[in-house]
Formats: sequence, C-alpha cells, structure tokens
Amino acid sequence: MSYSSFTLDSVKTAFQLEIAIPTNLFCDIAPVAPSAHLTTELERNVPVALAIGTEKARSEMIVGDVLLELREHFDRQISLFSGIDFSVDAEKGLTGVCDFLVSLSPVPFVLEAPIIVLVEAKKDDVLEGIGQCAAEMLAAQQFNAERGNSISCIYGVSTTGADWRFLKLEGQKLHIDTEFYSIHACDKILGILASMVEQKA
Amino acid sequence: MAYSNFTLADVKKVFQIEETVAAENLFSEIEPVIPSSVLTAVLERNMQVALAVNTEKAKSELIVANVLIELREKFERRISVFSGIEFNVDAENGLTGVCDFLVSLSPARFVLEAPVIILVEAKKDDLTVGLGQCVAEMHAAQHFNTENGNDIPCVYGATTSGTEWLFLKLEGQRLYIDTEFYSIHACDKILGILASMVEQKA
Repeated sequence: MSYSSFTLDSVKTAFQLEIAIPTNLFCDIAPVAPSAHLTTELERNVPVALAIGTEKARSEMIVGDVLLELREHFDRQISLFSGIDFSVDAEKGLTGVCDFLVSLSPVPFVLEAPIIVLVEAKKDDVLEGIGQCAAEMLAAQQFNAERGNSISCIYGVSTTGADWRFLKLEGQKLHIDTEFYSIHACDKILGILASMVEQKA
Repeated sequence: MAYSNFTLADVKKVFQIEETVAAENLFSEIEPVIPSSVLTAVLERNMQVALAVNTEKAKSELIVANVLIELREKFERRISVFSGIEFNVDAENGLTGVCDFLVSLSPARFVLEAPVIILVEAKKDDLTVGLGQCVAEMHAAQHFNTENGNDIPCVYGATTSGTEWLFLKLEGQRLYIDTEFYSIHACDKILGILASMVEQKA
C-alpha cells in the first residue's frame, strides 16, 4: 500500500474524509503575472511537452518550471522538492514518492515542516491523481502535526501540465474545486499557488 | 531484459562492440556555444534546488531538460526532443525500455522518427552507472535508423547527473567514451558538443 494505490473513494473511507465540492473555490484569487522568463519557457516548452505526452515530459517541461517560479516569487524563502520519498505512516499506507512538494521552510536539503502544497503530475487524467494527492495531503497533515507545526489547511494539485485542478484539506474536510485551470491562464495558476503559500486560499 | 539491465561489459559482449580508448579528450576541439539568457537564468534559478533535492527526477527536470530544450531552440526547432518515451526496438536482444531523453534530427514532434542522433541517460550520482544502458540505447538507435532507411554514420550518447556530463560516440561497432567530464558550469562547452553531434561533426 502506498499513495498511488489510493482512489478518491478508498482514501475517503480509510480516513473518514468529508468531501465538499464547492463551485469555483479559488475564483476570487488575484492572478500573479508570470515573469518574462517563465513566459518564454512555457512558450518553448509546452508544445514539446504536450507532443511527447509522457508524465515525465509534462513534469519537467511545465510543472517544474511553474513551481520554480513560485519559489522565485517568494524570494526563495520556500522550498521545493521533486521525486523524494515521503514515507510518513506505513501502517496507514501513507508511504511512497511524491511528484512535487512545497514546504514553507526555506531549508533546501531536508524536508522540514510545514508542508503546504502537494502536487501530483498525471499523463492524461487529472481526476486520476485526486485520491493519491489527498492521501499525500493527509500524510503532510500528520507530518506537520508530529513536528509541532500544524497549519490549518494543506493544499493539493493534480495536473497534466496543461490542466490544473486544486484541492484543499481542512481537518477531515476535503474541498475539490469544480474548476480546471489551463496553463494558458498561468497567471491564475500562479495566483492560486501563491495564495496557498500565504495560507489565504 | 531491457536497456537498464545492461552493464558496459554486457553490452560490449552481446553486441560485439569494441571500445577504443581515446588518448585524449574526444571533444576538446569543439567550439563552445553561448547559452541564451533564458537558459542562463533558468540554470541559476534551478541549480540550487536540483542539487539540494538531489533525485534523478529533480536533476532531469531542472537541469537536463532545459539544456536539451535550448539545443532545440538553437536549431530553430528543426530537431525534436523526447522525454521518457518507450523505445522498443528489438525485444529478443533486450533492446527495449524507456529512454530518459532522445534527440532526433526529424522535426516531427508527435512520433519518434529517424534518424535518432543522441541518447541521454540521467543518473542521480554516478555517471558510469549509466554507460551500459546508454550504449545499449545507442545500439538500438542504430537499428532503428537502419530499419527506417535513415542510416547515419555515428550515434551519440551522454550520461549525466545534470551537473556532470560524459559523452559517447558509436561508429558502427566502435565505441568511444570521452576521457573528460564536463561540468554544467561549462554549459557553453556542453551545448557546443551537443550541437556538433546534431551537425554530425563530433
């Protein structure tokens, strides 16, 4: 058992989650304009990533760049992890590798609490990543609490690079946004991610 | 059996590849290519994170992919870069599996077309670990090119941790492994070597 074995249904049952499906959870969030560099990168990378179509290409040519931009936006005062083993509670199946993790700690070499955003990259279907992402968000909640660094909300993203879907976990309540955001609305995606880091989302 | 199972010793034996040990740097004469301001900024931004996170995934996405995208830009998008695709050429001989990165001289983006010119294997730490795998992929690329009526005399390879790059050349059955490792701090030299491979001058 690991994060990738969870579906939305199984994670809901196993952890007694209450699911909320709010309309446009993040619609009021102000966009953040991408830097000229990110705009250039996306202009050159997105067509290549989507043509190749693999999860690897989408992660490295789109998702990684957006998250690096987020780190720049916060003057490198947050840390970004990619492909690390995040094993929190083997008994509950909260083990495995996370695609991307954002922590509010600026410490780069080891993962420190509080973890704020978990990102799952998928080849096709963003819905597929939601159960896995929710399990990782629960693990992050536990990880933060065990380190005396509880924060009220943990956020999640399931993305194909092209489409982004956002989640919010507040205690046992999982909010799944009804809206998908396209990478063409990169300013909106950056705005939502930034508001998550600021814990205002 | 797949590319990742091959050690350098295996691949030499199975495919009768002969290694010529170069007396000096294989690519020392190659002109550097100045990176664009975008690549310079991207590497400055990404390097610290890639080295701290230190997974093969982070190094691939934060460093290697950006260098290869820059190469595609340098050739005005007339070459194609593939990442993480299945490259199954000859199951009987173990020439199957996923390649980290592949560069083709064809501009076609949606399907891999011959000629495949450069195969890149990303590794977390030790570049020599990727050598057998990379040579097996290069050998498969030779097959693939021939089967598609698109023979080219040399196929090239690189094993990289993102920060360090080691280059290879396969000419028929003759394998050359460079004696030099190039650092990403000499990104202009790495780009120069990759560009000369694309131009088939390396």
